[in-house]
Amino acid sequence: MKKPSPGFGLGLRPDHYADFMAGPQPVDWLELISENYMVPGGKPLAMIDAIRVDYPVALHGVSLSIGSTDPLDRDYLARLKQLARRVEPLWVSDHLCWTGVAGKNSHDLLPLPYSEEALRLVVAHVRQVQDLLGERMLLENVSSYLEFTDSVMPEWTFLRAVAEEADCLLLLDVNNVYVSSVNHGFDPREYLRHLPAERIQQIHLAGHSDHGDYIVDTHDHPVCDAVWALYREACLQFGEVAAMIERDDHIPSLTELIAELDQARAIAGAAARSGRAVA
Amino acid sequence: MSARDVVRLAATQHDFQQYLFDAVGDIAPQIRPGGRIPVDKRLGIYHNAYRVRLVDTLRDTYEKTWAYLGDALFDPCALAFVEAHPPVHRSLRDYGATLPDTLAERFPGDPDIAELARMDWLLRQAFDGPDAVALPLETLASLSSDDWETLGFAFVPTLALSPLRFNTPAIWSALDRSEAPPTAAPLPAPAALCVWRRGWQPHFRSVDETEWAALGRLRDGARFADVCQALNDTCADASTLIAWYLRSWLTDGLVAGITNADA
Repeated sequence: MKKPSPGFGLGLRPDHYADFMAGPQPVDWLELISENYMVPGGKPLAMIDAIRVDYPVALHGVSLSIGSTDPLDRDYLARLKQLARRVEPLWVSDHLCWTGVAGKNSHDLLPLPYSEEALRLVVAHVRQVQDLLGERMLLENVSSYLEFTDSVMPEWTFLRAVAEEADCLLLLDVNNVYVSSVNHGFDPREYLRHLPAERIQQIHLAGHSDHGDYIVDTHDHPVCDAVWALYREACLQFGEVAAMIERDDHIPSLTELIAELDQARAIAGAAARSGRAVA
Repeated sequence: MSARDVVRLAATQHDFQQYLFDAVGDIAPQIRPGGRIPVDKRLGIYHNAYRVRLVDTLRDTYEKTWAYLGDALFDPCALAFVEAHPPVHRSLRDYGATLPDTLAERFPGDPDIAELARMDWLLRQAFDGPDAVALPLETLASLSSDDWETLGFAFVPTLALSPLRFNTPAIWSALDRSEAPPTAAPLPAPAALCVWRRGWQPHFRSVDETEWAALGRLRDGARFADVCQALNDTCADASTLIAWYLRSWLTDGLVAGITNADA
């Protein structure tokens, strides 16, 4: 059902264009933020045209707003498809969230009430996107800081239901599970236990900011020990899954990120050797 | 799925978005209470993140203007802009086009600030604007005298011309070198800022009123012969001047093609 794992990747950031242009890097694949390349021309597109020759890439969007009660943005989808034709991605992903309504876009990944109504809407929207792209998309769980009284099921049940009813794949953000587990007080391993292993195509790893009584998904720190531990659980449960590190602020050298990625390789390798992987 | 099917969710999203934009509305009772932090703090995380993200975007897009004003002056303007202009685009690249107008209203006695902001915006737009291949200077040698009677020029799509009243390019360049900018001073004569991208690099230079008029008319589709004629009516040594302009436009990579040539 899902594609074979391309291995261990990084989110491509402009800070590292020169490193990737200078020579081969020990990175199996790269993830591109779709909107950063949905531009008319210039350096960003020239860079990915050049880098794409040597690395498989995945497209990761932040503005699809699949959970908005507004209709899907046809112009956005057309531009996304145009970009997909250009880079021939491994897959296209976005978030299980909404970003705005009534024609506005907050540029934040806003949580949904996990209601039957929201489930119907998201399933319908995922199907529309997949029909347009001509293949399955990946939906990512977001970090959240609040829950709605209208929710009638936990996020993991909702996510699984969307994936199964819309027949899409999942991008499991391990850090987001951890962040939300702290903010809402659930067991993050419980979240993982309810996910369908056969649909988990990709894993995100990232750092966050600890504010004491809550934590925020800021992508500005290295992956913390608790998230590495949860990643190990994910490896044991889901087997070999394409994993990558996201860093969006306080971006370190590529060498430093590759060292962090090696940690992911080591954890996944050890989990595979332990023989408990089920997928 | 029609709007009728998602009435309750639509109401929640409208309430939530209204809260994000102005921190009022009916969202709080729809948030589950309990846990480590109270509902108002949970909502506040989103309210704050929305503003921080957009102010950061404006700082990035208007980097030199931010440096020129400093946090203490820039951030309140940026925040006021965010409060008045909820984003409508899918990409943050497109956010903040009218911040220069807000700055003009906020600093009516210092129009150099808005002018610097316009320069920031135009350079940012040129950075990832449409690609084009610049026409080599040598192309002109192959044109016949008949061609010159009818031809016009197509310019690179990133070319932008914006009125210039101050020494804004010098201020921008000093800030780009992290040096103290010169004092804003009005220009002795009307001029324009010309912005375009060459290869991957946005470029700019100022053009005087005569060149601005010639460039502007040609960009709007005028025939080169007509622009030369107009120049002849106002300048002493028009043919030398237009030859010099044309050479610099081509060597600077402003020209993308020749239009209307018979050959």
